[in-house]
Amino acid sequence: MSSDPFERPRAADGRAPDVFKMGGWIPMRQNRDGDEVDFAIVGTGAGGGTLAARLAEKGFSVVAFDAGPYFRPLEDFASDETAQEKLYWNDPRVVEGADPIVMGGKNSGKTVGGSMVHFAMVSLRFRPEWFKSRSTLGYGADWPIGWEEMWRYYDQVEKDLSISGPINYPWGPPRPRYPYRPHPLNAAAEVLARGCEAMGMKWTPTPLATVSAPRGEAHPCVYRGFCRFGCSTNAKQSTLNTYIPRAIRAGAEIRDLAMVGRIETDARDRATGVHYHRDGRWRFQKARNVIVAGYAVESPRLLLNSATDRHRHGLANGSGLVGKYLMTQPNQAVYGKSKDEIRWNKGPPSLAITEHWNYDDRKDFDGGYCWMGQGPLPIEWAKTVTASRGIWGDELRLAMQDYNYQVGVKMVGECMPSEANTVTLADQKDRYGLPVAKVTFGWSDNDKALIRHALDQMEMSLEAAGVTDLFRQEEDANHLGGTVRMGDDRRTSVVDADCRSWDVPNLFVCDGSVFPTVGGVNPSLTIQAIALRTADRIEQLAARGDI
Amino acid sequence: MRSMVEKRLGATHPRMTIMSGPTREADFADLVDDPAPAHVAREPRPGAPLRGYSHSVEIGQVRMVHGAAAMLAMSVLADSGIEHSRGQYHNPAMFTPLVSSTLSILASLDGAARSETSAHPLRLASYGIAMVVGLVGTAFHVHNITKKPGGFSWENLFYQAPIGAPAALSLSGLLGLAAEGIRDEKPGESPKLLGLPAAPALAGLTALGLLGTTAEVSLLHFRGNFQNPLMYLPVALPPIAAALTAEAALRPHKRPRPQAKLWLGITAALGVAGVAAHAYGTHRYSGGWKNWRQNLVDGPPIPAPPAFSGLALAGFAALALLERHGDD
Ligand SMILES: Cc1cc2nc3c(=O)[nH]c(=O)nc-3n(C[C@H](O)[C@H](O)[C@H](O)COP(=O)(O)OP(=O)(O)OC[C@H]3O[C@@H](n4cnc5c(N)ncnc54)[C@H](O)[C@@H]3O)c2cc1C
Ligand code: SF4
Repeated sequence: MSSDPFERPRAADGRAPDVFKMGGWIPMRQNRDGDEVDFAIVGTGAGGGTLAARLAEKGFSVVAFDAGPYFRPLEDFASDETAQEKLYWNDPRVVEGADPIVMGGKNSGKTVGGSMVHFAMVSLRFRPEWFKSRSTLGYGADWPIGWEEMWRYYDQVEKDLSISGPINYPWGPPRPRYPYRPHPLNAAAEVLARGCEAMGMKWTPTPLATVSAPRGEAHPCVYRGFCRFGCSTNAKQSTLNTYIPRAIRAGAEIRDLAMVGRIETDARDRATGVHYHRDGRWRFQKARNVIVAGYAVESPRLLLNSATDRHRHGLANGSGLVGKYLMTQPNQAVYGKSKDEIRWNKGPPSLAITEHWNYDDRKDFDGGYCWMGQGPLPIEWAKTVTASRGIWGDELRLAMQDYNYQVGVKMVGECMPSEANTVTLADQKDRYGLPVAKVTFGWSDNDKALIRHALDQMEMSLEAAGVTDLFRQEEDANHLGGTVRMGDDRRTSVVDADCRSWDVPNLFVCDGSVFPTVGGVNPSLTIQAIALRTADRIEQLAARGDI
Repeated sequence: MRSMVEKRLGATHPRMTIMSGPTREADFADLVDDPAPAHVAREPRPGAPLRGYSHSVEIGQVRMVHGAAAMLAMSVLADSGIEHSRGQYHNPAMFTPLVSSTLSILASLDGAARSETSAHPLRLASYGIAMVVGLVGTAFHVHNITKKPGGFSWENLFYQAPIGAPAALSLSGLLGLAAEGIRDEKPGESPKLLGLPAAPALAGLTALGLLGTTAEVSLLHFRGNFQNPLMYLPVALPPIAAALTAEAALRPHKRPRPQAKLWLGITAALGVAGVAAHAYGTHRYSGGWKNWRQNLVDGPPIPAPPAFSGLALAGFAALALLERHGDD
């Protein structure tokens, strides 16, 4: 058994954990703090991890920091919901607003590999129109990138992650065949499919970032359903076992248990490196360029915490928009009981999906949503039952006995960007002495209309599939977005299409926070496609001396 | 052939067993008391043909075809045993292929061991049952797919009850019947299988079986994404053997077919190598061979590839029969 991943950094002494072998190591190039590396990347999740690999593969020197530990999936991931809380960003944050967002496991990870280490692997492309939703659909904001270009990067990331998906995807423009075949449906997915068929809607096996056949050293999925608590077979294709090993092989250095507290800038408004806390002390890594990829709460927080006299309102904040337009995706659900045994915890939770309402615009609100199968593990399920049905004690115990017959569907919806939903700095400090993030959020009327519509539709579909004793989980939200939005006007956005700050030319932000709109699908594939594009753009910019 | 001679002569003339016939004067002296010396046996007696002899030449092929039937049945037994126990025999009908394939194996072993010259009703029955159970099974599996959401979709073809699997049982039954047909040869006639000349029919059956098996392998290896390039071999190679065997069925001339034999040989070897490849594949599942109880079920089916070897065996028998009974 390897050492405690929280006790001291594992990526050290010229080596990093080999995630595919118990106790194994891979050699890793290391840099000194004084070496001016090409890129210091803050965060190693969907955005940062992907960029670290691509930039290193293009020959840049890279150091990527993560506040979280470097886990070994084969050893550190227990089949225990409570123990696995260790994957989440559970550091304090202040939440407020009309609909305060519950932070932690639902929306943020803190490990090398980022939130993808415990993500549910649903890997969807945006509907093409969403990249120009203001001009084509009349709401939200336009992205500074077109869908055709994104389509190419989606192809690339789907290959890199060996996404297992259906032979034919029922919606949107044609896409190449998914690299791996879809997974078999579990009973919960079949209920979704029957419900959709009864309502005349299309459905499909969900494209998932977990392999249905061996891939290199990764085993195929064993359908035990611990996906959101860390996949211990490496079937899940997270950043941790895909781009991170690639990054290290290409010469990047990963620093685990390394919290970046501040980005340093000089008098010419250029970033010069990052202050980070590791091994019990603050240190400074020199860098020619800095990329922030800490997700939609930590990225704006770091920018705000890096304020100087020249950047009083935070770094890269000339527009005043850092921390604004926070979005979270509605994640409401409808549950009920089946007369047949379901055992919904068997397999990845979302094996089937319908994107019907992402592509059908006959509704009286803006935005779209999809819904997918569910398989909450017992503790999560008990929490859902208490919160949604208000039952406790003996009644709860009895209700839990229906666990294997329970079935449900959950939405992922599009939240409208609103300037009033924000990430700012609170007065409280965290254990590093840094002001913590204050997250303020409330649903808009449009969001509420969308949620109502989705709940009604999901309920009808379950009813049509013969599910009884239905109840709604009306309060839930998951993925985050916005807060460092990209655009093609420096007055209305923080970064440009290349994820480059308008104000600090050698500072990039590349993660879920750059989304001007979130669309009605899970975000990580889009984040990674943007990261791949950003790496290509950086290479081009560097080639013409623009970096 | 020699064994038949032995049977006739061995008891009284042990020395004769190593000879193909009398060659020296002394030998003829030895033969004086013999009621049916070897040299006489060459001439069929009018009205009472020595069926034993004519069969003695073909019993080898009969055995091969029984062997082929047994191998397919064993594949079915092991495969449906694993798959149906994974399905927890939720429908009692799921026991049927286990029983039927076992009967088919027993019939084949019995058939291969015996040199008798006529078909046996119990063997015929076992093979007949296999044929029918295979057909019914196919219908069942097809029905199951149509009941699933998505109907005849790629996904259901990948993961629902495999359509091709019960067909292998029918094939085993048909091969068994072919063996019985050859065994039951009437003098002066070439053997028959379901009323057709046995040799080309067997060749045709082999070709179809090879193609069907290849189709199933293609589907499953596609499902496994051809993640190991070796997975292309059983998709690419058996059709060549199938084509050459089909050619023999369609143009059943009496001639040697070294190409067809070569490719049947390769196909047979592929069936054996497939077991090793699947064993290797099993090791790539979580926990590898240490976790064999799970991975034998979840990993690539180890008993499946020898179906190719069984079919190749049937193909060899068909070619050998053609060399004797083919058109001139
Ligand atoms: C339970 C759950 C299920 C999900 N399921 C899906 C799904 O099925 N499909 C999908 O598309 N998406 C899913 N997501 C969302 C997806 O995981 C995230 O959108 C995505 O990972 C965000 O990528 P990112 O690069 O912006 O940030 P992350 O992947 O969160 O990476 C940020 C990293 O930065 C580190 N970090 C932050 N600040 C600092 C700092 N100051 N110093 C050092 N390190 C820092 C963090 O430790 C973290 O590891 C899910 C998320 C959760 C929580
Ligand atoms: S169900 Fe599959 S992807 Fe999920 S944790 Fe288990 S092996 Fe990993």
